[in-house]
Amino acid sequence: MNEASLLNNALLVGAMLFSLGLVGMLTRRNLIVMFLSAELMLQGISVSLAAWSRFHDDWGGHILVIFVLTVAACEAAIALVYVLGVFGRTGILDVAAWQSLGNDSMEKQVDRELPSVDTLSPQWPRLTPAGVQPEIDQNELLEREHI
Amino acid sequence: MRIPPFSSPGLLLAGAVTLTALALWLLLPRSSSTRAARGVGYVFGTVALVAFIMSGRRMGCIGDEVVFSIVSIVAVVSGAATILTRSPVYSAIWFALSLAGVSGVLLVLGAQFLGVATIVVYAGAILVMFLFVLMLAQPSGLAPYDRVSNEPFLSAVSGAVLLGLLSLVIGRMSLNENFSESSAFAGFVANNPALLERQLLQDDHVARLGSQMFGRHLVSVEVAGVLLLVSLIGSIAIVSRNTESQSKTLLRGGLRDE
Repeated sequence: MNEASLLNNALLVGAMLFSLGLVGMLTRRNLIVMFLSAELMLQGISVSLAAWSRFHDDWGGHILVIFVLTVAACEAAIALVYVLGVFGRTGILDVAAWQSLGNDSMEKQVDRELPSVDTLSPQWPRLTPAGVQPEIDQNELLEREHI
Repeated sequence: MRIPPFSSPGLLLAGAVTLTALALWLLLPRSSSTRAARGVGYVFGTVALVAFIMSGRRMGCIGDEVVFSIVSIVAVVSGAATILTRSPVYSAIWFALSLAGVSGVLLVLGAQFLGVATIVVYAGAILVMFLFVLMLAQPSGLAPYDRVSNEPFLSAVSGAVLLGLLSLVIGRMSLNENFSESSAFAGFVANNPALLERQLLQDDHVARLGSQMFGRHLVSVEVAGVLLLVSLIGSIAIVSRNTESQSKTLLRGGLRDE
Protein backbone atom coordinates (compact mmCIF):
# COMPACT_ATOMS: atom_id res chain seq x y z
CA MET A 1 0.00 0.00 0.00
CA ASN A 2 1.58 3.26 -1.02
CA GLU A 3 1.50 6.40 1.04
CA ALA A 4 -1.19 8.22 -0.90
CA SER A 5 -3.70 5.39 -0.71
CA LEU A 6 -2.99 4.96 3.01
CA LEU A 7 -3.72 8.65 3.45
CA ASN A 8 -6.97 8.38 1.50
CA ASN A 9 -8.14 5.33 3.41
CA ALA A 10 -7.45 6.92 6.75
CA LEU A 11 -9.17 10.14 5.69
CA LEU A 12 -12.21 8.13 4.62
CA VAL A 13 -12.32 6.36 7.99
CA GLY A 14 -11.98 9.70 9.75
CA ALA A 15 -14.81 11.17 7.68
CA MET A 16 -17.05 8.21 8.50
CA LEU A 17 -16.37 8.48 12.22
CA PHE A 18 -16.95 12.21 12.14
CA SER A 19 -20.27 12.02 10.35
CA LEU A 20 -21.50 9.19 12.59
CA GLY A 21 -20.65 11.31 15.58
CA LEU A 22 -22.43 14.27 14.00
CA VAL A 23 -25.60 12.24 13.48
CA GLY A 24 -25.47 11.03 17.06
CA MET A 25 -24.91 14.53 18.37
CA LEU A 26 -27.84 15.89 16.36
CA THR A 27 -30.35 13.23 17.05
CA ARG A 28 -29.81 11.46 20.33
CA ARG A 29 -31.45 12.94 23.39
CA ASN A 30 -29.57 11.23 26.18
CA LEU A 31 -26.84 13.60 27.35
CA ILE A 32 -24.34 10.81 27.95
CA VAL A 33 -24.82 9.39 24.46
CA MET A 34 -24.42 12.90 23.01
CA PHE A 35 -21.20 13.13 24.92
CA LEU A 36 -19.98 9.86 23.44
CA SER A 37 -20.89 11.18 19.99
CA ALA A 38 -18.72 14.24 20.55
CA GLU A 39 -15.84 11.95 21.50
CA LEU A 40 -16.50 9.96 18.31
CA MET A 41 -16.13 13.13 16.25
CA LEU A 42 -12.85 13.87 18.01
CA GLN A 43 -11.66 10.36 17.15
CA GLY A 44 -12.39 10.99 13.49
CA ILE A 45 -10.38 14.20 13.60
CA SER A 46 -7.52 12.39 15.33
CA VAL A 47 -7.37 9.74 12.62
CA SER A 48 -7.31 12.40 9.89
CA LEU A 49 -4.58 14.36 11.65
CA ALA A 50 -2.41 11.29 12.15
CA ALA A 51 -2.88 10.38 8.48
CA TRP A 52 -1.76 13.81 7.28
CA SER A 53 1.12 13.68 9.69
CA ARG A 54 2.24 10.37 8.23
CA PHE A 55 1.87 11.64 4.68
CA HIS A 56 3.94 14.77 5.16
CA ASP A 57 6.31 13.06 7.60
CA ASP A 58 5.82 15.85 10.06
CA TRP A 59 5.21 15.80 13.80
CA GLY A 60 2.61 18.55 13.80
CA GLY A 61 -0.37 16.25 13.46
CA HIS A 62 0.72 14.04 16.31
CA ILE A 63 1.27 17.02 18.60
CA LEU A 64 -2.13 18.39 17.66
CA VAL A 65 -3.78 15.05 18.46
CA ILE A 66 -2.18 15.10 21.90
CA PHE A 67 -3.64 18.55 22.48
CA VAL A 68 -7.00 17.31 21.23
CA LEU A 69 -6.84 14.64 23.92
CA THR A 70 -6.11 17.33 26.49
CA VAL A 71 -8.99 19.52 25.42
CA ALA A 72 -11.28 16.49 25.35
CA ALA A 73 -10.39 15.80 28.97
CA CYS A 74 -11.21 19.41 29.95
CA GLU A 75 -14.46 19.24 28.01
CA ALA A 76 -15.34 15.98 29.76
CA ALA A 77 -14.82 17.52 33.17
CA ILE A 78 -16.94 20.60 32.50
CA ALA A 79 -19.67 18.76 30.61
CA LEU A 80 -20.08 16.09 33.24
CA VAL A 81 -20.44 18.76 35.91
CA TYR A 82 -23.28 20.35 33.98
CA VAL A 83 -24.85 16.97 33.26
CA LEU A 84 -24.80 16.22 36.97
CA GLY A 85 -26.34 19.63 37.64
CA VAL A 86 -29.17 18.95 35.20
CA PHE A 87 -29.70 15.50 36.62
CA GLY A 88 -29.77 16.83 40.14
CA ARG A 89 -32.42 19.40 39.27
CA THR A 90 -34.69 17.40 37.02
CA GLY A 91 -33.84 13.76 37.53
CA ILE A 92 -33.65 13.06 33.80
CA LEU A 93 -30.82 13.02 31.31
CA ASP A 94 -32.87 14.44 28.44
CA VAL A 95 -31.17 17.20 26.47
CA ALA A 96 -34.32 19.31 26.69
CA ALA A 97 -33.70 19.51 30.42
CA TRP A 98 -30.86 21.99 29.83
CA GLN A 99 -33.32 24.83 30.02
CA SER A 100 -33.89 24.07 33.68
CA LEU A 101 -30.41 25.40 34.41
CA GLY A 102 -30.11 29.02 35.44
CA ASN A 103 -31.01 31.11 38.41
CA ASP A 104 -34.54 31.15 39.66
CA SER A 105 -34.63 34.94 39.59
CA MET A 106 -34.06 34.99 35.85
CA GLU A 107 -36.78 34.73 33.29
CA LYS A 108 -37.47 31.17 32.29
CA GLN A 109 -36.30 30.41 28.80
CA VAL A 110 -38.20 27.69 27.01
CA ASP A 111 -36.42 26.42 23.96
CA ARG A 112 -38.81 23.56 23.48
CA GLU A 113 -41.16 21.89 25.82
CA LEU A 114 -40.15 18.59 27.26
CA PRO A 115 -41.51 16.33 24.57
CA SER A 116 -44.48 14.19 25.29
CA VAL A 117 -43.96 10.48 25.34
CA ASP A 118 -45.39 8.60 22.41
CA THR A 119 -44.63 4.95 22.61
CA LEU A 120 -46.07 1.68 21.54
CA SER A 121 -49.06 0.64 23.50
CA PRO A 122 -47.96 -1.93 26.04
CA GLN A 123 -48.71 -5.53 25.25
CA TRP A 124 -49.91 -7.32 28.35
CA PRO A 125 -49.82 -11.07 28.59
CA ARG A 126 -53.18 -12.84 28.68
CA LEU A 127 -53.59 -14.52 32.00
CA THR A 128 -56.50 -16.15 33.68
CA PRO A 129 -58.13 -13.57 35.97
CA ALA A 130 -57.40 -14.30 39.59
CA GLY A 131 -58.10 -11.99 42.48
CA VAL A 132 -58.37 -8.23 42.32
CA GLN A 133 -56.74 -6.38 39.43
CA PRO A 134 -53.82 -4.38 40.82
CA GLU A 135 -53.51 -0.69 40.15
CA ILE A 136 -51.25 0.04 37.19
CA ASP A 137 -48.46 2.45 37.94
CA GLN A 138 -48.53 5.04 35.14
CA ASN A 139 -44.90 6.02 35.66
CA GLU A 140 -43.78 2.46 35.37
CA LEU A 141 -45.88 2.08 32.24
CA LEU A 142 -43.89 4.83 30.55
CA GLU A 143 -40.63 3.02 31.10
CA ARG A 144 -41.62 -0.19 29.43
CA GLU A 145 -41.70 -0.95 25.78
CA HIS A 146 -42.83 -4.54 25.75
CA ILE A 147 -43.78 -6.83 28.52
CA MET B 1 -9.15 15.16 -13.57
CA ARG B 2 -12.78 15.33 -12.49
CA ILE B 3 -15.38 12.78 -11.66
CA PRO B 4 -18.39 13.34 -13.89
CA PRO B 5 -21.53 13.25 -11.80
CA PHE B 6 -23.08 10.20 -13.43
CA SER B 7 -20.05 8.10 -14.05
CA SER B 8 -19.98 4.79 -12.26
CA PRO B 9 -18.10 5.80 -9.09
CA GLY B 10 -20.24 8.88 -8.67
CA LEU B 11 -23.41 6.87 -9.06
CA LEU B 12 -22.13 4.27 -6.62
CA LEU B 13 -21.27 7.01 -4.17
CA ALA B 14 -24.72 8.58 -4.47
CA GLY B 15 -26.31 5.19 -3.88
CA ALA B 16 -24.09 4.61 -0.87
CA VAL B 17 -25.03 7.98 0.59
CA THR B 18 -28.74 7.35 0.10
CA LEU B 19 -28.48 3.91 1.63
CA THR B 20 -26.53 5.30 4.57
CA ALA B 21 -29.20 7.89 5.25
CA LEU B 22 -31.96 5.28 5.01
CA ALA B 23 -30.11 2.82 7.23
CA LEU B 24 -29.40 5.44 9.89
CA TRP B 25 -33.00 6.59 9.79
CA LEU B 26 -34.33 3.06 10.10
CA LEU B 27 -31.93 2.10 12.87
CA LEU B 28 -32.09 5.21 15.03
CA PRO B 29 -34.38 4.88 18.02
CA ARG B 30 -37.81 6.04 17.00
CA SER B 31 -41.24 5.68 18.47
CA SER B 32 -42.49 3.61 15.58
CA SER B 33 -39.60 1.33 14.83
CA THR B 34 -40.47 -2.28 14.38
CA ARG B 35 -38.26 -5.31 14.24
CA ALA B 36 -38.74 -5.63 10.48
CA ALA B 37 -37.71 -2.01 9.91
CA ARG B 38 -34.58 -2.60 11.93
CA GLY B 39 -33.78 -5.70 9.88
CA VAL B 40 -34.13 -3.69 6.67
CA GLY B 41 -31.90 -1.06 8.27
CA TYR B 42 -29.18 -3.61 8.99
CA VAL B 43 -29.31 -4.84 5.39
CA PHE B 44 -29.17 -1.26 4.05
CA GLY B 45 -26.26 -0.43 6.33
CA THR B 46 -24.25 -3.43 5.21
CA VAL B 47 -24.95 -2.69 1.55
CA ALA B 48 -24.00 0.96 2.11
CA LEU B 49 -20.69 -0.04 3.70
CA VAL B 50 -19.93 -2.38 0.79
CA ALA B 51 -20.92 0.35 -1.68
CA PHE B 52 -18.60 2.82 0.01
CA ILE B 53 -15.72 0.35 -0.21
CA MET B 54 -16.53 -0.39 -3.86
CA SER B 55 -16.72 3.27 -4.83
CA GLY B 56 -13.48 3.84 -2.95
CA ARG B 57 -11.85 1.11 -4.99
CA ARG B 58 -13.17 2.60 -8.21
CA MET B 59 -11.73 5.94 -7.22
CA GLY B 60 -8.52 4.14 -6.41
CA CYS B 61 -8.26 5.11 -2.81
CA ILE B 62 -8.91 1.84 -1.06
CA GLY B 63 -5.77 -0.21 -0.80
CA ASP B 64 -5.40 -3.87 -0.09
CA GLU B 65 -3.95 -3.89 3.36
CA VAL B 66 -5.91 -6.45 5.35
CA VAL B 67 -5.08 -5.23 8.83
CA PHE B 68 -6.09 -1.69 8.02
CA SER B 69 -9.38 -2.84 6.51
CA ILE B 70 -10.24 -4.95 9.53
CA VAL B 71 -9.49 -2.34 12.16
CA SER B 72 -11.21 0.43 10.23
CA ILE B 73 -14.33 -1.67 9.71
CA VAL B 74 -14.34 -2.46 13.43
CA ALA B 75 -13.99 1.24 14.22
CA VAL B 76 -16.75 2.38 11.86
CA VAL B 77 -19.25 -0.37 12.61
CA SER B 78 -18.93 -0.09 16.36
CA GLY B 79 -19.02 3.71 16.04
CA ALA B 80 -22.33 3.33 14.24
CA ALA B 81 -23.56 0.96 16.93
CA THR B 82 -22.60 3.56 19.56
CA ILE B 83 -25.14 6.03 18.28
CA LEU B 84 -27.76 3.45 17.32
CA THR B 85 -28.21 1.36 20.43
CA ARG B 86 -30.94 2.43 22.79
CA SER B 87 -29.29 1.60 26.07
CA PRO B 88 -26.53 4.05 27.08
CA VAL B 89 -24.63 1.25 28.79
CA TYR B 90 -24.32 -0.67 25.54
CA SER B 91 -23.47 2.60 23.87
CA ALA B 92 -20.46 3.02 26.13
CA ILE B 93 -19.33 -0.55 25.47
CA TRP B 94 -19.59 -0.08 21.71
CA PHE B 95 -17.67 3.16 22.01
CA ALA B 96 -14.87 1.34 23.82
CA LEU B 97 -14.72 -1.16 20.96
CA SER B 98 -14.66 1.70 18.48
CA LEU B 99 -11.73 3.17 20.38
CA ALA B 100 -9.89 -0.12 20.03
CA GLY B 101 -10.47 0.06 16.27
CA VAL B 102 -9.31 3.68 16.11
CA SER B 103 -6.15 2.89 18.00
CA GLY B 104 -5.53 0.05 15.56
CA VAL B 105 -5.87 2.52 12.68
CA LEU B 106 -3.43 4.85 14.44
CA LEU B 107 -0.96 2.00 14.89
CA VAL B 108 -1.18 1.11 11.20
CA LEU B 109 -0.53 4.77 10.43
CA GLY B 110 2.68 4.52 12.45
CA ALA B 111 1.50 6.67 15.34
CA GLN B 112 2.56 4.29 18.08
CA PHE B 113 2.37 6.70 20.97
CA LEU B 114 -1.04 8.01 19.92
CA GLY B 115 -2.45 4.52 19.53
CA VAL B 116 -1.43 3.54 23.03
CA ALA B 117 -2.37 6.91 24.52
CA THR B 118 -5.85 6.67 23.00
CA ILE B 119 -6.43 3.39 24.75
CA VAL B 120 -4.91 4.49 28.05
CA VAL B 121 -6.57 7.91 28.26
CA TYR B 122 -9.94 6.95 26.90
CA ALA B 123 -10.11 3.69 28.84
CA GLY B 124 -10.01 5.76 32.01
CA ALA B 125 -12.50 8.25 30.59
CA ILE B 126 -14.85 5.52 29.48
CA LEU B 127 -14.60 3.83 32.83
CA VAL B 128 -15.69 7.08 34.49
CA MET B 129 -18.49 7.46 31.95
CA PHE B 130 -19.57 3.94 32.66
CA LEU B 131 -19.79 4.64 36.36
CA PHE B 132 -21.86 7.73 35.61
CA VAL B 133 -24.19 5.74 33.42
CA LEU B 134 -24.62 3.05 36.01
CA MET B 135 -25.19 5.70 38.67
CA LEU B 136 -27.73 7.69 36.71
CA ALA B 137 -29.37 5.00 34.61
CA GLN B 138 -33.01 4.26 35.06
CA PRO B 139 -33.24 1.00 36.91
CA SER B 140 -36.55 -0.01 35.38
CA GLY B 141 -36.13 -0.26 31.65
CA LEU B 142 -35.23 2.45 29.19
CA ALA B 143 -36.26 6.05 29.61
CA PRO B 144 -38.44 7.63 26.91
CA TYR B 145 -35.62 9.93 25.85
CA ASP B 146 -33.55 6.86 25.02
CA ARG B 147 -36.24 5.29 22.92
CA VAL B 148 -37.41 8.29 20.88
CA SER B 149 -34.76 10.39 19.19
CA ASN B 150 -34.88 13.92 17.95
CA GLU B 151 -35.60 14.40 14.22
CA PRO B 152 -33.94 11.16 13.12
CA PHE B 153 -34.63 11.58 9.41
CA LEU B 154 -33.17 15.07 9.02
CA SER B 155 -30.05 14.31 11.00
CA ALA B 156 -29.46 11.02 9.16
CA VAL B 157 -29.76 12.85 5.86
CA SER B 158 -27.39 15.60 6.94
CA GLY B 159 -24.81 13.14 8.23
CA ALA B 160 -24.98 11.09 5.04
CA VAL B 161 -24.68 14.20 2.86
CA LEU B 162 -21.64 15.33 4.81
CA LEU B 163 -20.08 11.89 4.45
CA GLY B 164 -20.80 11.87 0.71
CA LEU B 165 -19.24 15.28 0.19
CA LEU B 166 -16.16 14.38 2.19
CA SER B 167 -15.62 11.10 0.38
CA LEU B 168 -16.17 12.83 -2.97
CA VAL B 169 -13.45 15.32 -2.10
CA ILE B 170 -11.13 12.54 -0.95
CA GLY B 171 -11.80 10.59 -4.14
CA ARG B 172 -11.04 13.59 -6.31
CA MET B 173 -7.88 14.21 -4.38
CA SER B 174 -6.78 10.62 -4.95
CA LEU B 175 -7.47 10.90 -8.66
CA ASN B 176 -5.17 13.86 -8.89
CA GLU B 177 -2.10 12.33 -10.57
CA ASN B 178 0.63 14.57 -9.34
CA PHE B 179 -0.77 14.04 -5.87
CA SER B 180 -0.90 10.29 -5.78
CA GLU B 181 2.17 9.47 -7.82
CA SER B 182 4.63 12.00 -6.59
CA SER B 183 3.47 12.91 -3.15
CA ALA B 184 4.93 15.80 -1.26
CA PHE B 185 7.23 13.51 0.61
CA ALA B 186 8.31 11.57 -2.47
CA GLY B 187 9.19 14.75 -4.31
CA PHE B 188 11.07 15.98 -1.31
CA VAL B 189 13.04 12.76 -1.02
CA ALA B 190 13.86 12.69 -4.72
CA ASN B 191 15.69 15.96 -4.23
CA ASN B 192 17.36 14.95 -0.97
CA PRO B 193 18.29 11.26 -0.99
CA ALA B 194 19.75 11.56 2.46
CA LEU B 195 16.25 11.98 3.85
CA LEU B 196 15.05 8.61 2.65
CA GLU B 197 14.57 7.49 6.24
CA ARG B 198 11.24 8.71 7.45
CA GLN B 199 11.53 10.35 10.80
CA LEU B 200 8.08 9.23 11.93
CA LEU B 201 8.83 5.54 11.51
CA GLN B 202 12.04 5.20 13.46
CA ASP B 203 12.58 2.99 16.45
CA ASP B 204 12.87 5.92 18.83
CA HIS B 205 9.48 7.27 17.76
CA VAL B 206 8.33 8.20 21.26
CA ALA B 207 11.63 9.87 22.15
CA ARG B 208 11.45 11.98 18.99
CA LEU B 209 7.84 12.88 19.69
CA GLY B 210 8.78 13.92 23.21
CA SER B 211 11.67 16.04 22.03
CA GLN B 212 9.38 17.74 19.52
CA MET B 213 6.72 18.31 22.12
CA PHE B 214 8.98 19.69 24.81
CA GLY B 215 11.21 21.53 22.37
CA ARG B 216 9.31 23.17 19.61
CA HIS B 217 5.86 23.11 21.24
CA LEU B 218 6.88 23.87 24.82
CA VAL B 219 4.68 26.96 25.13
CA SER B 220 1.69 24.99 23.88
CA VAL B 221 2.31 22.37 26.54
CA GLU B 222 2.29 25.09 29.18
CA VAL B 223 -0.93 26.52 27.78
CA ALA B 224 -2.53 23.06 27.80
CA GLY B 225 -1.50 22.66 31.43
CA VAL B 226 -3.10 25.97 32.31
CA LEU B 227 -6.23 24.91 30.44
CA LEU B 228 -6.43 21.69 32.45
CA LEU B 229 -5.98 23.60 35.68
CA VAL B 230 -8.65 26.13 34.75
CA SER B 231 -11.15 23.46 33.83
CA LEU B 232 -10.41 21.58 37.04
CA ILE B 233 -10.96 24.67 39.16
CA GLY B 234 -14.01 25.64 37.14
CA SER B 235 -15.70 22.30 37.51
CA ILE B 236 -15.02 22.22 41.24
CA ALA B 237 -16.39 25.75 41.57
CA ILE B 238 -19.58 24.90 39.68
CA VAL B 239 -20.17 21.74 41.70
CA SER B 240 -19.55 23.42 45.03
CA ARG B 241 -21.77 26.38 44.13
CA ASN B 242 -24.60 24.00 43.31
CA THR B 243 -24.29 22.05 46.52
CA GLU B 244 -23.89 25.24 48.55
CA SER B 245 -27.08 26.77 47.19
CA GLN B 246 -28.93 23.50 47.68
CA SER B 247 -27.82 23.20 51.30
CA LYS B 248 -28.71 26.85 51.93
CA THR B 249 -32.14 26.20 50.52
CA LEU B 250 -32.52 23.22 52.78
CA LEU B 251 -31.36 25.16 55.83
CA ARG B 252 -33.79 27.98 55.31
CA GLY B 253 -36.70 25.65 54.98
CA GLY B 254 -37.03 25.96 51.23
CA LEU B 255 -36.95 29.77 51.17
CA ARG B 256 -34.83 31.33 48.46
CA ASP B 257 -32.24 33.79 49.70
CA GLU B 258 -32.76 36.33 46.93
